[in-house]
Amino acid sequence: MAVTVATHERPPFWRNATVLKWAAQLVLVAFLAIVILTLRAQAATNIEDRGITFGTKWLDDPPLISIREGIDLQPDSGARALYAGIVNTLRVSISGILAATILGTIIGVARLSHNWIVNKIATVYIETIRNIPLLVQILFWLAVIQIFPALDEDSVGESLFLVTAKGVSIPWLFPAGGFYQWLVFLIIGAVVAGFVYFRLSRLKEERGGETYAFWWSVVAFVAIAVIGWFIHPVMAFWGPIFDGISSFFGAIPRVLVQILLAAVAVLAGTLWIRRFLESMRTPAGLAKLTDDDWFRMIFVGLMALIGAALFVFLPGISQTILNMVEAFFNFLGAKFSGESVAPLTYTTPAVELRGTGGFAQLSDQALVITPGFFALWVGVTLYTAAFIAEIVRGGILAVNKGQSEAGLAVGLTRAQLLRFVVLPQAFRIVLPPIGNQYLNLFKNTSLGIAVAFPDIVQVGQTIYNQTGQTFPVVILWMAFFLTGSLVLSSIVNYFNRRLKLVER
Amino acid sequence: MIKRLAVLLAVLAMVAAACGGSSESEDTTSTTAATTDDTTATTAASDDGGGDAGQAAEGGTLAAVQQRGTLKCGVSGSLPGFSETQPDGTAIGFDADYCRAIAAAVLGDANAVEFRPLTAAERFDVLKAGEIDVLVRNTTYTQSRDASGEGGVNIDFAPTTYYDGQQLMGLSSRFSADSGPADVDGAILCTNAGTTTEKNITEWAKIGGATIGLETVEQFPEALEKFIAGQCDLVTTDGSGLVANKVTKEREGEIQPGEWVVFPTAPISKEPLGPAFRQNDSEWGDIITWVVYATIIADEKGVTSANIDEQKDVDPEATRLFGGEGEVQTAMGLNADAFYQMVKQVGNYDEIFARNLNPLDIFREGTLNAPFNEGGMIYAPPAR
Repeated sequence: MAVTVATHERPPFWRNATVLKWAAQLVLVAFLAIVILTLRAQAATNIEDRGITFGTKWLDDPPLISIREGIDLQPDSGARALYAGIVNTLRVSISGILAATILGTIIGVARLSHNWIVNKIATVYIETIRNIPLLVQILFWLAVIQIFPALDEDSVGESLFLVTAKGVSIPWLFPAGGFYQWLVFLIIGAVVAGFVYFRLSRLKEERGGETYAFWWSVVAFVAIAVIGWFIHPVMAFWGPIFDGISSFFGAIPRVLVQILLAAVAVLAGTLWIRRFLESMRTPAGLAKLTDDDWFRMIFVGLMALIGAALFVFLPGISQTILNMVEAFFNFLGAKFSGESVAPLTYTTPAVELRGTGGFAQLSDQALVITPGFFALWVGVTLYTAAFIAEIVRGGILAVNKGQSEAGLAVGLTRAQLLRFVVLPQAFRIVLPPIGNQYLNLFKNTSLGIAVAFPDIVQVGQTIYNQTGQTFPVVILWMAFFLTGSLVLSSIVNYFNRRLKLVER
Repeated sequence: MIKRLAVLLAVLAMVAAACGGSSESEDTTSTTAATTDDTTATTAASDDGGGDAGQAAEGGTLAAVQQRGTLKCGVSGSLPGFSETQPDGTAIGFDADYCRAIAAAVLGDANAVEFRPLTAAERFDVLKAGEIDVLVRNTTYTQSRDASGEGGVNIDFAPTTYYDGQQLMGLSSRFSADSGPADVDGAILCTNAGTTTEKNITEWAKIGGATIGLETVEQFPEALEKFIAGQCDLVTTDGSGLVANKVTKEREGEIQPGEWVVFPTAPISKEPLGPAFRQNDSEWGDIITWVVYATIIADEKGVTSANIDEQKDVDPEATRLFGGEGEVQTAMGLNADAFYQMVKQVGNYDEIFARNLNPLDIFREGTLNAPFNEGGMIYAPPAR
């Protein structure tokens, strides 16, 4: 009776898992490439058949349009007009995000209140707002502002608040001549305050007893701010420094920047791969790399090379970066003139007669909120706040009930319980979903087109109607919203990583 | 291990299936590609529109319209006198009647029109994407819209049907018929976005040294609403649109007669309005051009929808268009009785004008829209 011994043989290649896995990846990449190329070619022919042109000249040409509000009312190029639209979009988004966060948190906590009336008001708010489409709400707010009185000669004069059919005007603090010089003091104040807080907290832990770390840091900040208010011209010496930096960047040859950026791209790729390999190292030597690990390393390497190639072959990118840095420091340099004017000016709303036609308009001296901005801003803020409120409520409820019971047992008041025990833990839970709401708010600002708010979408639409360049404008819109959303989510992700529980 | 391998094989099988699918679909490129491209090139292209675009590219718009049996006509839908959408989805007005005239000439049925209300901002893209066959939406004929290079809108225009000019409208307590840029300095104006109006007013204010704020809305009725609410001090658009809206509001009793005034008397721009169609489709373009001319010739020869049966064989030129053998019509790819049907069902230029615009106090006499032999600009080349 012969005994057969199974010998270990390499399987044939069509049964070799590694070969199959790689083949599948390559087939998929090739398939995707073919699909994209086919669609592209087909789109190109169809676009030509229909006489749709694709160009960039409109970016430089004067668009001959007027923009109702923003940094440039009569832009002299298409690019400038779009930029004014972008700034308007960002104005609504950023102010909306701040307001929605505060309002949403308050409503979310109110929703859990033991006070019946507060609780019901919050419930009604949430259920009303989030069950009505946002567009309808924005149109509603526009209709609301149209009810307010129109302006005429009789309304000329100042007052504390003005709500009219031509917009809302509120008192405001505007940065004036000495603002940037004072800003340096504010930054110093913030640093000092942080240091004071840190030291006093340490002291409290070491010796026990209350050191009032928070209040002392506030005192330090306010004191430096107040002193800075009066002596801010001493910061004028920054002006020449910034001018110097600006001319330094102006003198750097573009080629150098190109090489530098390409090198950074390659270096970043290499470092990532090295760190990845390091993390695979075990006491017994390098762990066996799976196929996925290889894919990942090849992908990162490729990306780094593509990035480097872009910097090398598209000198425009490096030139733009150089120009922007130069312009930024040039701008800063001009702000540090040593003038002894108040850093901020306080203004109150007024109605003035404008032009030879003598039209009653809201004066630009105070903050003027146009009907379009008002409707859009109130709409997206209230809408997003309702969702944030639900997220906050969910986050609070997700904190283990035992935590609250323990807090109450050690004698904390409800406010203290919320402040020291529940909210810090809830914050960690709610951050990612709130980040999503920020993204929604940012994207929803494009609804401003319904109320004639000149955001990037509205301005872009006007431009492509004048020039016929629909395609390039739409691509720019998409690029803008994609970039904005990615930046926003990477900020949220950064805080999320810092806050999450570190598990070992 | 075996489990992983099985998963892998499954994935591979799926990829293979997908590849197989793609090679199949490559055989039917024309249909899939047209649909795919529509989704990329235009924002709101339906599959329906994509299919038609494919036909249009191959057999021309005329063949596509005849095969479909209806004419897709882009109109404003919200401009009194020119095109106003009705509850049943059709439209009435001067522009809407030109849609009917084209349908009557091409299909023999003036009611075979599918009206598509469009905003000023979207109209050219919808036309170029092939979702409509012709655009009759008080559209101004300009050089840049005609141009086919970079920076041009790249469409073609039929002869002008209505000579218009841009004007402003404000409260009569503040403005008179001869107000100028100096009276407008410091005002906020409302108009609809994506129109020549926006360029004209910006230029006019610049030259006149007036600083204005311009608020642009999607549709003109919104601009009017903002004007009524006091959000803007003035509205501006084509004179006909202003007068039509003013008269409508006066009739409805929303404002006192004479509460609003349209100015300046000499319009600030030339706005020749006419039908527009896709570039590089001469067959279709000729038909629309001659539909417009045929209404004008019918008016010139005194042929109306009421008397066409008696009048069609009296004048030799009218006979060639409306009666006889209709050789010229068949040479254009139309039925021999195409223009007979058109006048019979819709009417001549004067009928279309009088029916839609006279009720709004807009008349032909003394304007550019009078016949050429009465000092106007309405003129057609001879039919022979």
